[in-house]
Amino acid sequence: MLYYLTKRLGLSAVVVCLVVLVLFSLLHLIPGDPATIALGPRATPEAIARYAEKMHLDEPVWRQFMIYVANAATGDLGLDVFSDRPVTAIIMERIGFTLALVGTGMGWAMLLGIPLGCLAAVKPNSWLDRITGVFSVGTIAVPSFLVSIWALLIFAVHLRWLPAIGAGEPGDLGDQVSHLILPAFAIGLSWVGYLARMVRASMLEVMGENYIRSARAFGLRPRRVIFGYALRVAILPTITLIGMGFGGMISSTVFAEIIFARPGIGKLIFDAVTARNFPIVQGAVLVATGLYILVVLISDILIAWFDPRVRESL
Amino acid sequence: MPKDATHAPDTLLDVRNLSVDFRTPRGRVKALRDISFPIRKNRIIGIVGESGSGKSTVLWALLGLLAKNAEVTSGEVRFGDRDLLHASEAQLRATRGEEISVVFQDPMTSQIPVLTYGRQMRDILYRRPNVTTVEKRRMAVEMLGKVGIPDPDKRIDQYPHHFSGGMRQRAGIAMALLTGPQLLLADEPTTALDVTMEAQIIHLLQDLQKELDATVVVVSHNLGLIAELCDDVVVMYAGEVIEAGEVHEIFHNAQHPYTRALLECDPARIDDVSRKLPVIPGDIPDLTKPLSGCIYASRCQRAMPICRQQTPPTITRGEMSLARCHLLDGPHHDPDWPPPLDVMTVGKGEAGARKPARVKRDDPLLEVSDLNVQFETVGPLRARLKGITQRHVDAVLDVSLSVAPGETVGLVGESGSGKTTLGRTVLNLVPARSGSVKFEGREIRNMPEGRFKPLRRDMAMMFQDPVGSLSPRKSVRALITEPFQIHGISGVNLDDEAERLADMVRLPKPFLSRYPHELSGGQARRVGVARALALNPKLIIADEPTAGLDVSVQGEILNLMTDLQAEHGLGYLVITHNLPVVRHIADRLAIMYLGRIVEEGRTAEVFNRPVHPYTQALVEGVPQPDPDRRRVHVSISGEVPSLLNRPKGCDFATRCPYAQDRCRAEKPPHVTMADGRRHACHFPLGQ
Ligand SMILES: Nc1ncnc2c1ncn2[C@@H]1O[C@H](COP(=O)(O)OP(=O)(O)OP(=O)(O)O)[C@@H](O)[C@H]1O
Ligand code: SF4
Ligand code: SF4
Ligand SMILES: [Mg+2]
Repeated sequence: MLYYLTKRLGLSAVVVCLVVLVLFSLLHLIPGDPATIALGPRATPEAIARYAEKMHLDEPVWRQFMIYVANAATGDLGLDVFSDRPVTAIIMERIGFTLALVGTGMGWAMLLGIPLGCLAAVKPNSWLDRITGVFSVGTIAVPSFLVSIWALLIFAVHLRWLPAIGAGEPGDLGDQVSHLILPAFAIGLSWVGYLARMVRASMLEVMGENYIRSARAFGLRPRRVIFGYALRVAILPTITLIGMGFGGMISSTVFAEIIFARPGIGKLIFDAVTARNFPIVQGAVLVATGLYILVVLISDILIAWFDPRVRESL
Repeated sequence: MPKDATHAPDTLLDVRNLSVDFRTPRGRVKALRDISFPIRKNRIIGIVGESGSGKSTVLWALLGLLAKNAEVTSGEVRFGDRDLLHASEAQLRATRGEEISVVFQDPMTSQIPVLTYGRQMRDILYRRPNVTTVEKRRMAVEMLGKVGIPDPDKRIDQYPHHFSGGMRQRAGIAMALLTGPQLLLADEPTTALDVTMEAQIIHLLQDLQKELDATVVVVSHNLGLIAELCDDVVVMYAGEVIEAGEVHEIFHNAQHPYTRALLECDPARIDDVSRKLPVIPGDIPDLTKPLSGCIYASRCQRAMPICRQQTPPTITRGEMSLARCHLLDGPHHDPDWPPPLDVMTVGKGEAGARKPARVKRDDPLLEVSDLNVQFETVGPLRARLKGITQRHVDAVLDVSLSVAPGETVGLVGESGSGKTTLGRTVLNLVPARSGSVKFEGREIRNMPEGRFKPLRRDMAMMFQDPVGSLSPRKSVRALITEPFQIHGISGVNLDDEAERLADMVRLPKPFLSRYPHELSGGQARRVGVARALALNPKLIIADEPTAGLDVSVQGEILNLMTDLQAEHGLGYLVITHNLPVVRHIADRLAIMYLGRIVEEGRTAEVFNRPVHPYTQALVEGVPQPDPDRRRVHVSISGEVPSLLNRPKGCDFATRCPYAQDRCRAEKPPHVTMADGRRHACHFPLGQ
């Protein structure tokens, strides 16, 4: 286990470094003066000079890279070009909103999708199975930004049931929750379909296994056989899917956050890219990558926890 | 049997007129037709029959766990005052696992891999709300101890993959007996196990049945196992019970021609290895077609015109003895039937056609000497981190072996003994660490694939799982000519070749356009043989050539192999754990244990006078299809140690009944005896 963690953390570090390298190269591959590119055409010469110094632009590129990595390791991701505030602080302000959105989105998708898939698999070709099938295909096919726009139009603009934009009053939990509902619905919807399909497929396979027949032959209750035995095995590939899907989820928050005007990492990156605010883009992408790696790691550990064979091979 | 017959008081369960259909796209498969037999209390009853005869369907019908497409069209299963076929799901659930329990065929797949035995066994006891969890655990530990699991209180917290095959089956038996069921069903309980394990499980079942006063139903196609274990026997064929009776009646005085034929085909029963093996020609009938007359008529050696038209009468002898055949009663009664047991009733077992006396040649086809193969078990980094020094295991250790042209060498050993690895190493599919492999005098060990490839024409492999190793989307014609394409051989007419090869393996021409899933086990095996033969090889390495085949078909394949050898002077290396089979085809035997050859010599000598204790255990481990020759004790206990902790001295010392201190300290070297036999034992038997 220790060996496994060491290996995984080492690999993660390598991935993060590669991401930083790519981000760096992007900045330097664009022809012209990096400082001017980074700050945009409206920047004053003083700002450019200050930026060049701050970013050690006079040093060779590899030195700059080393400095960035060293600083990043201590949590210093540089300064925002416009406000001069530390990038880390800006990201920290926003990240909570994104995590809440992704968590809720994935959460409701799991709560609905997994049982749906299970029930569909237990009674294949029943009406529930058919409806689930149609529903899955439908939701997977519709991109989340369309769902966002329609949800906004129907529930916020037309029916006025829920607030349209923003993240709610700070400190007012009820208000924040009501602001969360529509975007979470929008980004989670297609995941309900994915998960239902995935769980159905692996449940169907597992329900045909000999050990399920054994459990039945020992007279266990159907509920125990389905949830205690079959789902326990069938869930394993789904956990991996969720872990990997987390990355896609973060990218769909970009749309959701723009459409619902929610503060968050997605919107931050979008704004920073439009404003060519490079330190923010760099920092935010780095943090998002880090999050993704962390989630994949967690999903692998979860699998190891559920499956003794995996646990021991670690 | 009349419907209203009140069953005798000692009948625990009574199957009456049971018929089951399966709805399939091809039509209704009439899998069981009017089956009746009693299960008598405190006895072990065996159900025998070829694959597809409906044995498993009977068991699942008893439990109400038939597949979803099954339909019970008639009959009842009386258990006490209930009819299990018409009981409610809740009633059935109360019966399953509690009053009737099951031991499954394959302990590898029938136990859930992600729950500990403790958890699984606690779940089985869920119907006892007033027994505490601690108490349930104690019951489970006690039961595990009873079936011979060492340290049950520790091992109960382990998962199935921590147990070896034999141990898992023991645990499976423990799970089934945990609730103290009245009836225990066992579907092929030892088929997935090795010979020495099989013997242990048979005796365990026997002892437990006596101790717990249980009634046991064992389903098997292994006649030896049935003879050794059972009191009553039910013989099934194509969905019907064609004969039933007490074990002695069945094995010593079988009435039905099919039962007779089955007994005659069993290689374990045939001592005369100079003849070909008898076979039952033909296949089990297609159960989707309408059936009339005697179900066995298409294969019966005594079939008469009436057999195809009229259902044969059922002759009852004793309480549960019955047989259904026109020869036994009515106008076609034959007073001379059945003939004494030593008269063969199926294909006489032609003599002579066996291999001609071989010219003793000096140059062997294949010569392996001191071959070593190692596998890495842990990566270098992990070994460093965990402080493991031994990173490799010896899968093949100092193996020397030779095969002459026209000779068959049997390589026998239990699972994990390195047989298949050895075969693969010879074919250069696994790199060897040291030693030499010579083919026709030429060193081929670890030869680069480019140079080795032409040699692959001379050495072919016959794979263990014929259907699995055939690509499902290719026709038989494409499959058997595939080797020509693989080796880029042009200038041959593939259609002619396909027909020539099909002819060689006696596969009728129309089969050439079939696909693998449309073949029976024996036919698929033939395709495998044809592929191996395609390029006129000199050596064939056959990995378990008859595994999973019924006795009646097994003989066909073995006879075919012998014929081809006689015609083409092939050399065979037959890898198997089935001793009766190699005994019939091998000239010499090499017995492997933990990657080492422990004994090697001429087949008859090795069988009649084994010098290595392990060989002796194997030979004695074969159950005899004769209830009078039951073994009273199991010759060896324990199981094959893991390669990871190979014993320091003799590999077999942990299980050897003759082991002494010296055995545990020194590895016995290979010794060649005066008659050319070789062994590796400090204290060879009979010396
Ligand atoms: N679910 C199913 N759908 C359709 N046909 C089936 C099904 N299960 C079994 N059969 C058919 O019913 C017949 C009896 O099968 P069964 O499995 O009981 O045989 P068996 O004697 O147990 O054979 P084996 O020795 O191979 O286990 C066979 O012809 C088989 O093909
Ligand atoms: S009834 Fe006829 S075909 Fe059937 S077993 Fe008897 S002799 Fe053979
Ligand atoms: S060397 Fe000893 S332990 Fe090994 S087989 Fe011979 S007698 Fe048994
Ligand atoms: Mg079966």
